[in-house]
Amino acid sequence: MNLRYLFSMYSLSYPKVIIYMLQTSEYRTSPYLNWLWRTKDFSKVQYRKSLEPTNKAKMLLLLLSSGIGAEILAGIALIIFGSISFTDAAWCWPIGLALLLAYPLIWPHLIIIPLEFGRVVFVLPNQSRQIKAANKIFASHPGVKIAVAGSYGKTTMKELLYTVLSEGKRVVATPANKNVSSEHAKFASGLDGKEDILIIEYGEGAPGDVSRFASYTHPTYGIITGIAPAHLDRYKTLAAAAADIFSLAIYLKNRNVYVNGEAEAAKDFIKPSYTIYTQEGVGKWKVDKVEVSSKGLNFNLKQGRTTLHLHSSLLGRHQIGPLALCAVLALDLGLKKTQVERSVAKTEPFPHRMQPYELGGAWIIDDTYNGNIEGIRVGTELLKELSAKRKIYVTPGLVDQGEETAKVHSLMGKYIADAKPDLVVLMENSVTDYILEGLRKAGFKGEIQMVGDPLAFYTNLETFVAAGDLVLMQNDWPDNYA
Amino acid sequence: MSKTKVAVVFGSRSTEHDISIITAIASVIKPLELSATYEPIPIYIDKQGRWYSHPKLKDIALYTTGQIDKFLTKQKPLALQIGDGLKIFWPSLKPKSVKLDVVFPATHGTHGEDGELMGLLEMANVAYVGCNMPSSVIAMDKALAKIVAGHAGITTSKFVWFYSRDFISDNQEVLANLSVLTYPLFVKPVHLGSSIAISRVVNAKELLNAIEVAAHYDDKIIVEEAVKNLIEVTVPIIGNEEPKAAFVEQPVLRSGSMFDFDSKYLRQGKKGQAGAKTATGAQGYSKLPAELPKDLYEKAEQTAINTYKAIGCSGIARVDLLIDSKAKKVYFNEVNPLPGSLYAHNWKKSGMSNLKLVETLIELAQDRFKRKQQLTTSFKTTYLAQY
Repeated sequence: MNLRYLFSMYSLSYPKVIIYMLQTSEYRTSPYLNWLWRTKDFSKVQYRKSLEPTNKAKMLLLLLSSGIGAEILAGIALIIFGSISFTDAAWCWPIGLALLLAYPLIWPHLIIIPLEFGRVVFVLPNQSRQIKAANKIFASHPGVKIAVAGSYGKTTMKELLYTVLSEGKRVVATPANKNVSSEHAKFASGLDGKEDILIIEYGEGAPGDVSRFASYTHPTYGIITGIAPAHLDRYKTLAAAAADIFSLAIYLKNRNVYVNGEAEAAKDFIKPSYTIYTQEGVGKWKVDKVEVSSKGLNFNLKQGRTTLHLHSSLLGRHQIGPLALCAVLALDLGLKKTQVERSVAKTEPFPHRMQPYELGGAWIIDDTYNGNIEGIRVGTELLKELSAKRKIYVTPGLVDQGEETAKVHSLMGKYIADAKPDLVVLMENSVTDYILEGLRKAGFKGEIQMVGDPLAFYTNLETFVAAGDLVLMQNDWPDNYA
Repeated sequence: MSKTKVAVVFGSRSTEHDISIITAIASVIKPLELSATYEPIPIYIDKQGRWYSHPKLKDIALYTTGQIDKFLTKQKPLALQIGDGLKIFWPSLKPKSVKLDVVFPATHGTHGEDGELMGLLEMANVAYVGCNMPSSVIAMDKALAKIVAGHAGITTSKFVWFYSRDFISDNQEVLANLSVLTYPLFVKPVHLGSSIAISRVVNAKELLNAIEVAAHYDDKIIVEEAVKNLIEVTVPIIGNEEPKAAFVEQPVLRSGSMFDFDSKYLRQGKKGQAGAKTATGAQGYSKLPAELPKDLYEKAEQTAINTYKAIGCSGIARVDLLIDSKAKKVYFNEVNPLPGSLYAHNWKKSGMSNLKLVETLIELAQDRFKRKQQLTTSFKTTYLAQY
């Protein structure tokens, strides 16, 4: 073992590092312990970010530091006692020394106890009360309630719906990617009952999540944006994740259910009563005259004699389906044709989700919040479709792919190879070899560059690109993955 | 596979010390940190001429916050070993040393860009980036560069040069020699870059003052006629035997103004008017590419390349030209053997990233070095035996 790694456990910042790991793992025991056991050099843990001094974090830090301090004092006391005692106290030496040496191993584990205790005694009962209150609010709310679920694309869909429907309705939506029970409860407490439409995002993380969300939010419409391997560390299989997500349709008795027809893994779950949306259209509405560029999208949406001329700054052909669905739902919910056209034109890329910007004459497409294989597929398709002097693809790969890790990343390598970038930049980590294997199998002929320090790469990206370059950056790993 | 060690040398005893820090860190070290092939090693020469190397010297904040002097008090200056390449040593009881594969001089002005550093690197027999010693010496002497370019058939404006000491001992004789020139005139110290101590004068009184100022900075001064209907352009060039130019670039200036130190570095070019097709580079606003008629643009590009070759430049240089837009004449003005920030903004616009530029320059240096190693440097004689 490298001595530097060992010393990093005895540094003064060690307690702070431990609490940072807990905070970054959202105080969840399993991911925290996995990270803790995997870490060799604790001096490198707080690399991109550092501990946010919230009350919870400060309290835990105080507790941890006190515990470590007490153990060190006990160790020193035992050693001193063993040295000056005239009685037979030889046992004090090894125990004192063991206490002094072992605290970095003991306390990161002991700190879980008050955390779990707090969760069982305070957090869960409190959450349960909040959810009961939310259940009542949602059940009695007269507005249309649209639930958005899926392994990917749900935040984008929610934001698009919000933008489009807000043109003529009073709409509220769960904020950012706040999509779990506690956030739903907070959202419900802020409602005044006069809203026309509520948009609620469901952030599935473990089996049973979606049916539970549906049971207390009482949706009237359900949108399923796609199924892809995500959170497989808890779902274990893609089928289990899909079954959980489609429990939303069961709650809705298979009525008013809209499903992304381009999501391969969702196809087995589709029933005739569902409305399918794709880049070809939504139900009886058909898409034509599509134009895709680095500036956005233009297309028409037609049914019978009615034609909507739609434009959006969103990038990529894959956005046509969600935009068309928003337009159709808006018409169903009472917006006029002109209102829909105007509101769709207001849709813009969201931060770090296929967000284009210019850097020193190069076009960068920032898709660093994309964390699933389906998102990788549509991103690489866009890269293939756009023209550029030099195309560069950048990724660290995906996280939380469980047993599918090798398969998913090999497929990712194939998608990248199909886009034919001139240069692939891979952030070196545990999945790099699988991507390389995928690239090799697909006969990728371009240049490949490994980057050991992703932060340095993103920070100095300007020195890496030139006018005429098109760079697609997909996903980014935080400190707790390697 | 271990990376090629590239020592980036910057700072030094020069009026352009601070500019060199920016060139080295922003335009060479930062991009090289993304390189899969090269590892940058910073070598900072302080204002007293001592050499230091430490990873923290790559951090621009050390210089911008003024902490550099305090930091250096805790460091020991490097020792150098020359011979079979260049080795740097950190003196201590158990000295640590690193053999450098390539040296990237990022010094501007005196004691660096002027050929002194290149002479040391030639002696050490190590590959280094940029112009070699003879071409650096010529390029850094504005009078000598004009003489060499003139002999190669390249047009220059009319000029007279003299030593500062001659002016101090007998300014009347110098002024008499200058009477062959027509106002307005430019007075320049021949060895300084970044437009330091350059003046534009329109009468004898201003001329005297300007020469006095220039004499404070340099021992050799050049006075040259201004070009009429002036368009000032600059052409960054890289390459050894087959140099290639980036865009011809046109600094944006007020009428009658000049591209001086302030507009280059301190005011981000805001002395001039930024037009529609302007770009901000390390040295302020420019029209990029220059808005010139096609024939004049090509003539400027070719003149720059011819000058680069005539002076014997290799690796990288920037050739400044003066254009009489009515007469359609292109004059060579001066050549800069290490353009500030490598003119990376121009290369980037031309389609070459900063990283690619730096990597290409290192490859050019290695290529030149390799070819030089094939030359015979010894010759067997009986001279000593006969002595």
